[in-house]
Amino acid sequence: MSAPELVTVTIDERSVQVPKGTGIVETAAAAGIEIPVFCYEPRLGAAVGACRMCLVEVEGMPPKPQAGCTLFAQDGMVVKTARTSEMARVAQNATLEFILVNHPLDCPVCDKGGECPLQDLTFRYGPGNTRMTFDKRTFEKPIPISPAISIDRERCILCYRCTRFSESVSEDNQLVAVNRGAQTMIATFEDEPYTGAFTGNVTELCPVGALLPTQPRFEIRPWEFQAVPSVCGLCPVGCNIDVDQREGKIKRILSRNHPEVDEGWLCDKGRFGFSHLYAEDRITDPLRRVRSRGLEEISWEDALDDAERLLREANGRIAVALSGSETTEDAYALAKLVRKGLGAHTAMLPEEIGGGLDAFRAPLSAIRDAELIVVLGEDPVVERAPIVDLWLRKARRAGAEIVEIGPAGDVQIAPGTTARACRKLKSGELGDRLRASERAILIWSGGGAGGGSHLAALATDLGFADKPGCGAFFLPETANGRGVAEAWAAASDDEGPEPEPLGLLIVSGDEAAANPNVRALAEQAERVLAITMFHSLAVGWADLVLPGTSYLEREGTYVNVEGRIQRLRRTAIPPAPDELAWIAQLASRFEVELSPSPSLVFAELSERVFGGVTYEDLGEEARLPDRVPLEAAPAESADEPVPAKAPGGTLQLLRYRPLFSGAAVERVPELQFQRPAPEIELSVKDAKRLGVRRGEPVSVRSNGTSVQLRAAINKRLKAGVARIADDHARDLHPTVEVSK
Amino acid sequence: MADVIVLANADERDLRQLAEYRAVGGYTQLERVRSLEPAAIIDELNTANLRGRGGAFFPSGRKMQFIPPKEQIPKPHYVCVNADESEPGTFKDREIMNRVPHRLIEGSLIAAHAIDSQHVFIYIRGEYLDAFETLRTALDDARGAGLFNGVTVVLHRGAGAYICGEESGLLESLEGKRGQARSRPPFPAASGLYASPTLINNVETIATIPKILELGGAEYAKIGAPPDSTGTRLFCLSGNVVKGGNYELPMGITIREVIYDLGGGIPDGRALKAVIPGGSSMPILTADQIDVPLEHDALRALDTFLGAAAVIVVDDRACMVQLGLRVAQFYMHESCGKCTPCREGTRWMVQLLEAIEAGDATHSQLDLLLDVCDRILGKCLCPLGDAAAMPVASYVVKFRDEFRAHVDQGGCPFGGESSLEGLFAPVDQHTHHPVAEVPA
Amino acid sequence: MARPLADEVRAIAEQYPESTSAVLPALRIAQERHGGWLPPEALEEVGEALGLTPAYCKGVASFYDMFHLAPVGRRLVEVCTNICCGLRGAQDVLQAFERELDVRPGETTPDGAFTLRAVECIGGCGWPTVVAIDDRHRLNVSAGDVPGIVQELRGG
Ligand SMILES: Cc1cc2nc3c(=O)[nH]c(=O)nc-3n(C[C@H](O)[C@H](O)[C@H](O)COP(=O)(O)O)c2cc1C
Ligand code: SF4
Ligand code: FES
Repeated sequence: MSAPELVTVTIDERSVQVPKGTGIVETAAAAGIEIPVFCYEPRLGAAVGACRMCLVEVEGMPPKPQAGCTLFAQDGMVVKTARTSEMARVAQNATLEFILVNHPLDCPVCDKGGECPLQDLTFRYGPGNTRMTFDKRTFEKPIPISPAISIDRERCILCYRCTRFSESVSEDNQLVAVNRGAQTMIATFEDEPYTGAFTGNVTELCPVGALLPTQPRFEIRPWEFQAVPSVCGLCPVGCNIDVDQREGKIKRILSRNHPEVDEGWLCDKGRFGFSHLYAEDRITDPLRRVRSRGLEEISWEDALDDAERLLREANGRIAVALSGSETTEDAYALAKLVRKGLGAHTAMLPEEIGGGLDAFRAPLSAIRDAELIVVLGEDPVVERAPIVDLWLRKARRAGAEIVEIGPAGDVQIAPGTTARACRKLKSGELGDRLRASERAILIWSGGGAGGGSHLAALATDLGFADKPGCGAFFLPETANGRGVAEAWAAASDDEGPEPEPLGLLIVSGDEAAANPNVRALAEQAERVLAITMFHSLAVGWADLVLPGTSYLEREGTYVNVEGRIQRLRRTAIPPAPDELAWIAQLASRFEVELSPSPSLVFAELSERVFGGVTYEDLGEEARLPDRVPLEAAPAESADEPVPAKAPGGTLQLLRYRPLFSGAAVERVPELQFQRPAPEIELSVKDAKRLGVRRGEPVSVRSNGTSVQLRAAINKRLKAGVARIADDHARDLHPTVEVSK
Repeated sequence: MADVIVLANADERDLRQLAEYRAVGGYTQLERVRSLEPAAIIDELNTANLRGRGGAFFPSGRKMQFIPPKEQIPKPHYVCVNADESEPGTFKDREIMNRVPHRLIEGSLIAAHAIDSQHVFIYIRGEYLDAFETLRTALDDARGAGLFNGVTVVLHRGAGAYICGEESGLLESLEGKRGQARSRPPFPAASGLYASPTLINNVETIATIPKILELGGAEYAKIGAPPDSTGTRLFCLSGNVVKGGNYELPMGITIREVIYDLGGGIPDGRALKAVIPGGSSMPILTADQIDVPLEHDALRALDTFLGAAAVIVVDDRACMVQLGLRVAQFYMHESCGKCTPCREGTRWMVQLLEAIEAGDATHSQLDLLLDVCDRILGKCLCPLGDAAAMPVASYVVKFRDEFRAHVDQGGCPFGGESSLEGLFAPVDQHTHHPVAEVPA
Repeated sequence: MARPLADEVRAIAEQYPESTSAVLPALRIAQERHGGWLPPEALEEVGEALGLTPAYCKGVASFYDMFHLAPVGRRLVEVCTNICCGLRGAQDVLQAFERELDVRPGETTPDGAFTLRAVECIGGCGWPTVVAIDDRHRLNVSAGDVPGIVQELRGG
């Protein structure tokens, strides 16, 4: 691409050069001049020019104020803002006066006070007094629009940012403007809660205190917060966040726009999920199993002695089950302890990703710029990596063609056949077009292990390695599954036999603790040491429980879906020392050298697997490491066995792990309404055959298990397949019978 | 020559019938120009100097020339006929659709040919049920007679929103959205309906085209008040006048002639007080200004506009504060609610006018009212805000004494005898759920 | 049996390059089928037929005066009270209807027979006062005509 043409624009007598077509608001900013805005927000699509806050005077245009937000830089343009134009000054003053005419001016009790653009702009551009002497428009207020968000319609300035988000970013079309003119207000249908993966973004978009999260209501003043830059650890995207805390306690999470990763959006799990840290069953002290009484609190000294004893007694017959929520540093530390100190090399890693994808690395924002995108897999993208869903929507709006291949895709395939479908793409019309494209993206969203290697083989075949605009993404199930796997591998090159029988199972983290396969393994282990945050995940099976900490409480790094290494910061004071502190202590008892400092651990590990980058290199806005050229054709993992076709009358069960599930979500009251309804998704054909309609109760059975669910019709679902969220699928087998 | 163009022959014949319309030469221009280059049609309209009849008086041929060629924007091109006629005082498009629907259809098809379009949408206000049915029948007849030649014509009914007469509100509404105005640029010519090049014209503008082609642009340009105000207009005469109704006349006729020669003067022996020359959004004229010819330049010189040529006659019984209040209530009710000055400003205007009418206002609030108008004017997203501010400001300026009298006397000097006394505004009747409590 | 709403709506939608354009016609049909107003189910049906959310449909419906989000009477009597009719006695006509029907503008008679509304200009200004009865315009209506009109509507 050729460099964009530069144009010269004069703003308030200052001359500035910007690429042609730059917005005038940005052009002015480049000249160091503010054009105040309310409704303008480029991430919401084309400017709408609604609030009239940005009025400026432009030479050569009709002699009236122009909405700066809707203008673009052209060569020789001369713009005057309120600083130099009386016309613009009066116009902006007028806009603010009009906004305030019906505004309640309740700043002293408004949670937005102190960080409110309306407050700030009134201070700078507004009228000093009020000429409005009549009754203001009143509304019932504040009222919830969901358990997580409340609306104060009197404060609303009708900038339509929230409805534009709902319409053209998340595309859920649930938050709308109703009525007309001065009666217009923001509402949901019949006051139903605003539900969806991304609703919380409207609280950040709202430039006044109209849409506020219910979590810290009336609790604190924004200027008392301290913002700590970190990244979200609840899914593999790793959105960049600012964590607002006061006195070591988290009050709020806001986005921190990383233009390649999240574009400043967060999903509701990431935004509202933090309060699980303060759940009632949070473990704060080490626990020891007492035969008759369950678990008893013990001192850290005793706990470390116990741990040492368990490790020694196992005599090398140790396995470690790791969670994908582990920091790379913690995973490395634990790996080094057991592998170097005890010669135990058996781990249950959070997931198998399969190698080779680093040769096709691209920022997530490449999805937006693509012209052709193929999404393979069985899980809805939004449930795995929600922000990727927003990138896909943005791509579609920009005209990209998106082909979904899956049981509920444009191309419908049977469950368990994703790898085959992936291989088939090497030939055929779609494959040809992928090969011909300079801007194509492949995404694998669930459906069989080793997807990464299948994808890498396909991308190699399509020649993506030489095309910087093409990329391939495997959406992991966990936030740092990649980093944990790398950390485990980096700790030692040795290998060892499977422990037989298993002496000690170390279960690290809540995901592992909740995993049925880990539980099954624990049954066979003589002893279990669990590191977990919550009581209910520990009771009944662990001999020793060490309190876990969360992604918000420790320093460390996560490797996200792109392969980007991002820094987690300690944003809150944990109720217990973090893992690295005591793992290091324990390690010294086994003569394993391990620093308790995350940056030193990272430095050591980075030398081995990350090319020696340091925390400083990563910075607050981590850049994507360069592509790693493939040395050999990627080894493709074997296909999983294709599940047998369901016998007549029965359906193949497709389970998925919903976004709003897991130990954190379960402990956040404001997120309960977002959890999946007890539903079974049926294809149109099966629903017809079974004679069930939307919302009707059905019973779902397999091998002695029976679950009552409501029917939902999914028009895209392949006939013969039924989809149920894990939460509701419980012990159902892969083939189910459905009846009214 | 006969200066009846748009309604030509409609008095003698029932031109709703296709056969009758054809008998007076209907559709011959369409058939003739279909073999011509589009540019030839546009040239003719430019020669005629046809200007938009929807209010903005924009040269129609030039507007067609703004439509980029298909090679430049390879998307379908659309013609939208604006039949939303909702400006208080206007009812001419209704007459055209009711009486000469085929002339409108013929004009639409010619316009489509002129911009290389295969798709015509006619957006008719929902309240015009009769006109809708007449037009629907005429469309069926014309379609049945094979006159469309592959062009689709969709008749689309609005549902009660004045803003949908504003071209960008119309496009939003036609796309199935709330009819909120769009920011421009991009202009419809480049990115209109479904983000494609779109020509939007008023019913009367379009219905004039066949006759222009029949007469020839040069001949047409001699009618009226050349060079700018060529041709005829359907003047909508209403208010305190004996014979209200539509009168097709050449532009340049004076208001006095319209009221007294055609309209039969003021009823009940009352005196003329004021005249609104172009529909309720236009600045008012006083009784001593009625010798002004109804054409663009002369009215501009008096700081008002011909607008949609709706002449509203106001006699001496009307209280100008009440008139201002009712006009402001209308625009407040019809504000789409998208931009701040219009949404908030119109409501504030209403509150100020209510206080003045009730005798609760101060003199400084008269100035405040003017200032509020001034702060709306020219600062809104679309011209609806101006449509509220311009007329009301003109009432205050021109009838300042009457406004002052309300303040000085602590109430309406008409003492309940004004012809507009107690006029109810729909905005006070909550048609939707009474969610917003708007205090009286 | 009447055609299902969805079928009728889809047929209309085919006239337009984008089906969302059919929202207004679809809402109109739904309103006719639901006794002259749009209960929440009607908005859901329209949404279902066009692939839109009910919230979207409500946002659209509530923008336009001719869609009713609360029940209305079997006959809709609408009196223009804009300036042209107002200069010529529209308020007397409205008051006459209020007297005859014993309701205020915006209200429905207890028997559900009539809803009376004041409306903005409906485009018959030269023939004041204009009264729309179920969208059919009556021109040159005076207060004196009102008892006869109401009687006619009650009788017929
Ligand atoms: C608030 C507002 C309402 C309008 N209403 C109408 C209308 O009802 N009919 C109409 O033809 N033009 C109306 N217009 C003008 C249109 O925006 C547009 O200029 C016109 O349809 C163009 O057609 P013309 O060039 O043939 O006049 C309105 C403009 C504004 C600002
Ligand atoms: S609620 Fe906030 S974001 Fe939404 S329109 Fe109102 S002011 Fe704007
Ligand atoms: S003012 Fe009554 S119809 Fe126009």
